[in-house]
Amino acid sequence: MERELVVTGIGGQGIQLLAKTLALAATREGRHAMLSADYGGEMRGGPSRASVVIGDSPLRALPVLASAWSAIVAHHRFSEPALARLRPGGPAIVNLPLVDPSSLPPMVVYGVDAAAVAASVDAPQAIGFVLLGAYNAVTRLVAPESLAAAMEELLPPYRKQHAAANARALAAGAVAVRPARRAGAEVAG
Amino acid sequence: MTLELLEGSEAIAASAIAAGCRFFAGYPMSPFTGLLESMSRLLPAVGGVCLNAESEIEGVNMALGAAAAGARAATGSCGQGIALMQEAIAEAALNETPFVVFNMARNQQDYFQSTRGGGWGDYRTITLAPKDIPEAVEHAQLAFHLADKHRAPVIFYGDPLIAQTRVGVSIRPLDFGPLPPKDWALDGTRSGTGKSRQIWTWAMGKATDPGPGPDRHWRAIAAKFDAIAKVEARHEQAHVEDAETLVVAFGSAAKFVEYVVAELRAEGHRIGWFRPVTLWPFPGEALAKATAGARRVLVFELNAGQMLDDVLIHAADRSAVRFIGGVSIAESGLAYGELMDAPVIRDRILAAVGEGTRS
Amino acid sequence: MTVIDSSRPPAGPARRVADSRPSLLLGEHSLCPGCGEPVALRVLLEVLQELEIVQRSIGVVGHGCYGSFVRIMDVDVLQCLHGRAPACATGIKRVRPTCVVFTLQGDGDMANEGLQEVLHAAARGEKITCVMLNNGVFGDTGGQLTATTVLGQRTKTSLDGRDAETHGYPIPVAELVAALRGAAYVARGAVSTAAAVAQTKRMLRRAFETQLSGAGFSLVEILTMCPTGWFVSAREGPGYLGDSMERAYPLGELTR
Repeated sequence: MERELVVTGIGGQGIQLLAKTLALAATREGRHAMLSADYGGEMRGGPSRASVVIGDSPLRALPVLASAWSAIVAHHRFSEPALARLRPGGPAIVNLPLVDPSSLPPMVVYGVDAAAVAASVDAPQAIGFVLLGAYNAVTRLVAPESLAAAMEELLPPYRKQHAAANARALAAGAVAVRPARRAGAEVAG
Repeated sequence: MTLELLEGSEAIAASAIAAGCRFFAGYPMSPFTGLLESMSRLLPAVGGVCLNAESEIEGVNMALGAAAAGARAATGSCGQGIALMQEAIAEAALNETPFVVFNMARNQQDYFQSTRGGGWGDYRTITLAPKDIPEAVEHAQLAFHLADKHRAPVIFYGDPLIAQTRVGVSIRPLDFGPLPPKDWALDGTRSGTGKSRQIWTWAMGKATDPGPGPDRHWRAIAAKFDAIAKVEARHEQAHVEDAETLVVAFGSAAKFVEYVVAELRAEGHRIGWFRPVTLWPFPGEALAKATAGARRVLVFELNAGQMLDDVLIHAADRSAVRFIGGVSIAESGLAYGELMDAPVIRDRILAAVGEGTRS
Repeated sequence: MTVIDSSRPPAGPARRVADSRPSLLLGEHSLCPGCGEPVALRVLLEVLQELEIVQRSIGVVGHGCYGSFVRIMDVDVLQCLHGRAPACATGIKRVRPTCVVFTLQGDGDMANEGLQEVLHAAARGEKITCVMLNNGVFGDTGGQLTATTVLGQRTKTSLDGRDAETHGYPIPVAELVAALRGAAYVARGAVSTAAAVAQTKRMLRRAFETQLSGAGFSLVEILTMCPTGWFVSAREGPGYLGDSMERAYPLGELTR
């Protein structure tokens, strides 16, 4: 059983890092993972997209995903290509209030105000990890400890001081995620 | 078997080193740069040498020198840089120096470059075209084995998806069988003995120990490549027995075709696929057999039609062959465009199938 | 002291006790009478023997009349692409650092086709010894202009003599290389007179000693006669070299 995740946002939101963290967490658990990245040249504000596939045997998925089971939508800009690939009915985490839940195809939508949550645990730059924590709480793809360990492993020496804040962000996202109300659509239960 | 999440370039570098590669020289060029950087990071730790050469021409000639001295050596670039290396690749084919050339290409437009070659003389170049990173890891080692087995340069044809995607892989040395010793390698030990060694495309030998000379030597080289063609062709295929339609693709495109064909079969289409694993020697006999019963042979590649030539040469019925690929490049010029995408490929196949049979 | 009676023929055949030809030469060269290249080859091979480094020596030979030396040098040798010898030599030396690696290239090979290769190898301080046989002409292809052809020299592609306006200025390779920090020993010699040959041999020796010490890159540029390319007789070669090449390219050591 393979699970695909597309992550879409803008440069600076930590899209690439959150995707890599999830992929590494799965790998460290001994499972098969694949990670693709797609981003423009600008350091901030340009399109940033990543996809992660996790499975228990060698993956069939293509490096350009034909379709995806789940999504993390961190920003509404540049999100159309990722949203177009989603299969209906899977989970989607949206970053409130930047993303309007009713802009999504028919998914089971959850929301979290990642910026507010990050600020509330004194980790203002870790909105990507808030979203990742939220995603994993809903999907339980990997063990939370695996996410925290992968996050630490990926920190370069000059960023190690952020480990504790990032860990708080992962945990806070898991707690703060809620089903998101869509106008005229069913609420995730 | 512990998996490591590695970018394709890193995995290929680690695999080449597991195969004993101890010399690498190259010039940065996207998407080859990751492989050069990985080699630069990994080789010193195992006592190897990685040089950031000042040009592609220098890089390939450094690798040729290192290989002539008996080391497992490699260079690489993308197609534009491999273009500069053509003379040296031909030279190595004709003076029998084995090294590996990693073409981390930007697309599938280097098929002709790899299989027809832009060098001089009568030579061929074994070319491996992996479809994904796990196969790239195997081919990175197989390339060195084939180079040493046949004393000839070998091309590894990668692409941006293989270079830049990250996948959980396990790297360990692979054993492809015994190899002859490199007693031809230059090490200085026979200098002054009257039996000193010589590596020369003209193979005239020394005054006291003449060699075959260019005529006999180049005939022998041509015969060697004929012999290689008979034993080293590799391919993969599926659902050929009941296929009305056979799709032929190589490299990453073949992985996408495999995925789409599985979907179409589940919907009831009688369709199969054929994938050359070696672009040269092209598995012509196998293709002829596989296409014998097909009404349509659809060639899918992201170029203006290069492997198409080889399919037309070998297909059981030329008139059944249709080209459904095309040039497809991303805005950046550095990666694949829209055609490397399952839904698009599916549409192309269905359009071709809907067009009807050969008359 | 006894007087040798030479009125009768010798009692038996002569016994060879010494041979002035280096044993590393496997046969005769086939180059023009008066060519300076075989002289340079000879002293180079003698130096390898005197330094006792023969059985770890590997040569990389480029393309030119001297290219045929790969048949008569009893040294492990790679005949390589035009201009690329310093790159190939780099590959060899980096994987066999205890070997002594040298290149043998003409001016067309090193200064035209291969200027980039030799400059970069020198800048990197590769522990190889490059030898440029400089006769200011592409001899093997019939005598065309090279980057080192001196002003006024007639060649097949400068029939009225090299003219700065049309053909530009010659390139002094030794000076260019000597300007690079990685170049530990650079010298220019000639083989036009006995004294020059002896001096060149000393330069070659110092170049190889530099390689052995690990100090860095070494280059010996050797001015050689090419009477055929210069349209002079074999006998006039050495004098012509002194009057033309040597004026443009001063002899001596450029670095120590």
